[in-house]
Amino acid sequence: MSSDTAVEVVDLKKNYGPVTALENVNVSIKSGEYFVLLGPSGGGKTTLLRSIGGFIRPTKGRVLLHGEDVTDLPPDKRSTSMVFQSYALFPHMTVIENVGYGLKLAKVPKAEIERKSHDMLEMVGLTGYDRRKPHELSGGQQQRVQLARALVLERDILLLDEPLAALDAQLRKDMCVELKHLQQQVGITFIHVTHNQEEAMTVADRIALIADGNLVEYGPAREVYETPKRRFTASFVGENNLFDGRVVTSDSDTLEVNSPAGQIFVPHKGATVAAGQNVSVSVRSEVMSLERPSVKPSSPSAPAVSGTYRECLYLGLVNSHRIILEDEREVVVRTLAGPDGTVPFAPGDPVRVTWPFDAGRLHTQ
Amino acid sequence: MSEYGSIWGYRAQWAYLLLIVATLMSPVFYVIYISFNENGFGAAEYVFTLEWYGLIFSDRLMMNALGWTLMLAFATLAVTVPMATIAAKFYKATRHKVFTIFVLLSPLFVAPDILGSALLVFFKNTNNMFEAFSDYLGTEFFYGWFQLGFMTAWIGLIIYTMPYAFIVILITIGRYNEQQTEAARACGASGWRAFWDVEFPQIRAGIFSACAFTVILSFNEYTRTSLLKGGFDTFTTVLISQMLNEGMSEQSYAMSSLVSFVAIATIGTIIIFTMIRSEQLQRKAQPKAEPADAPETNAEPQKAAA
Repeated sequence: MSSDTAVEVVDLKKNYGPVTALENVNVSIKSGEYFVLLGPSGGGKTTLLRSIGGFIRPTKGRVLLHGEDVTDLPPDKRSTSMVFQSYALFPHMTVIENVGYGLKLAKVPKAEIERKSHDMLEMVGLTGYDRRKPHELSGGQQQRVQLARALVLERDILLLDEPLAALDAQLRKDMCVELKHLQQQVGITFIHVTHNQEEAMTVADRIALIADGNLVEYGPAREVYETPKRRFTASFVGENNLFDGRVVTSDSDTLEVNSPAGQIFVPHKGATVAAGQNVSVSVRSEVMSLERPSVKPSSPSAPAVSGTYRECLYLGLVNSHRIILEDEREVVVRTLAGPDGTVPFAPGDPVRVTWPFDAGRLHTQ
Repeated sequence: MSEYGSIWGYRAQWAYLLLIVATLMSPVFYVIYISFNENGFGAAEYVFTLEWYGLIFSDRLMMNALGWTLMLAFATLAVTVPMATIAAKFYKATRHKVFTIFVLLSPLFVAPDILGSALLVFFKNTNNMFEAFSDYLGTEFFYGWFQLGFMTAWIGLIIYTMPYAFIVILITIGRYNEQQTEAARACGASGWRAFWDVEFPQIRAGIFSACAFTVILSFNEYTRTSLLKGGFDTFTTVLISQMLNEGMSEQSYAMSSLVSFVAIATIGTIIIFTMIRSEQLQRKAQPKAEPADAPETNAEPQKAAA
């Protein structure tokens, strides 16, 4: 393990009776990075986070913090602090007492507790709120107090369990940016659990996708979004259209896939595939475009599928066009909403959906 | 009351409730009334006096019994409440809730005289076994360990009061957010420290209520205590024995009134305190968007002072 690895999880498994919450998870998180555990509800991401924090004892496997095996240590003996979804502030203590609680336990002198707590409240934008009780704060303010309480301990790994889930949409967006800025400011490792991909994309240096107790894929946020390796990642991250099919021919540059929607050409990119193998092709909805079948295709091998225009949903910045393909599957194409609100297609119109050749991603798993 | 309900229906419900309370409490109030009569129970003339209250403390038999009762009550409290707290925490954490609650409440399902006599037989047999074992070893060390006395009455009362204390504590512990304990642990607190600093202040009302209930239940208990007490007397055993043999003395009326008054005042205080606390918690559960006299929220996080 390299010296700048903050967290290493090795073959981690957690069972609850017959239910497997985590299955042989291996992940390595670097010091100072903002790492996001993303996935559907019940996928195991919180179980993984809580195992790192010492709130869950794994059935098998190890958790290492800075190279030290902490698998059997309780939370108070680990170099982590945590922010909870339900705020978890101590209601009988004031804001300043909440923030200074960990320092008091560490027997830090009273004056220093006061100074550090005030500094931290200033950092999270809550100067002047120190004598208030938690119930006198809004949800966003309570979450900031939690952040201050965790950061004041100056531990180098901060665990955040769906910290923004209880906030309204606008506040969540604002807090996302604040979290990212805070992490850059303090420079410690943040491990953040969320099921919200926009939140994940906003804050993450790297994203790990967890579903059904398995670590599906992890990598830099842009890579996970733009070039997902696995079909599940493509189905979960971003709005992707998926075409399942069988490889017909392959050469060094292009693969031809026979799908129920038609023949699809996709870049080979060194994938090890054989003719007849089942594969999936994903294409992001925002790189697709719509044209009438009467328009001549740019090249005979340009990727395209035909269908019938169903409807247009106006989403503010973009329009979401829904097209029914010949095999009854639905494809979504997003385009920027025009200023006049007109849509050049009517329900029932035959359309052709096209995309740049390089935008197609091949998935063998 | 429903927005569309009849005001008379609402008043009738209150009248019904008050009637029940009056019916249940009128004998107690009658005892209190007699305790202030110089001529005692059944006299044609009522003359107000505090004399009987003054004589309570001169009744040696009664005072001795009261001493034993208080000792038993507080010894029971010392064991029952911590056990009930641990049981309530366990109940909250376990996935096998039905079985756990059945086990913890099972003493309530057994009639007091059956449970008392079962314990009596159990302690007698256990005592005989210990004595036989002691004889076998050629020592007197195990003699009288389970002879009827303070300890057997104490065990009987613990079994009796435990389910009540458990339920009372469970009501407050059930509302406690366990993530606060986790948050305290994440701040560096040990399990005990997290309980003492964070959980206890929030479930204190339930624990104190359980203490009060345990003391009152122990104080009032007759059947199990009389079967298991051995050679000493408690307040209720003296009172009932007096009543059966000689009729109640005037001091007994005064003592009963005093005990009733203390019990009603204690329970009333607990109920009022719990209701006030519950309203406070409800208010706290709705966080205000912005405190009225709060300073302006800093929109963006600021750099910490160096």
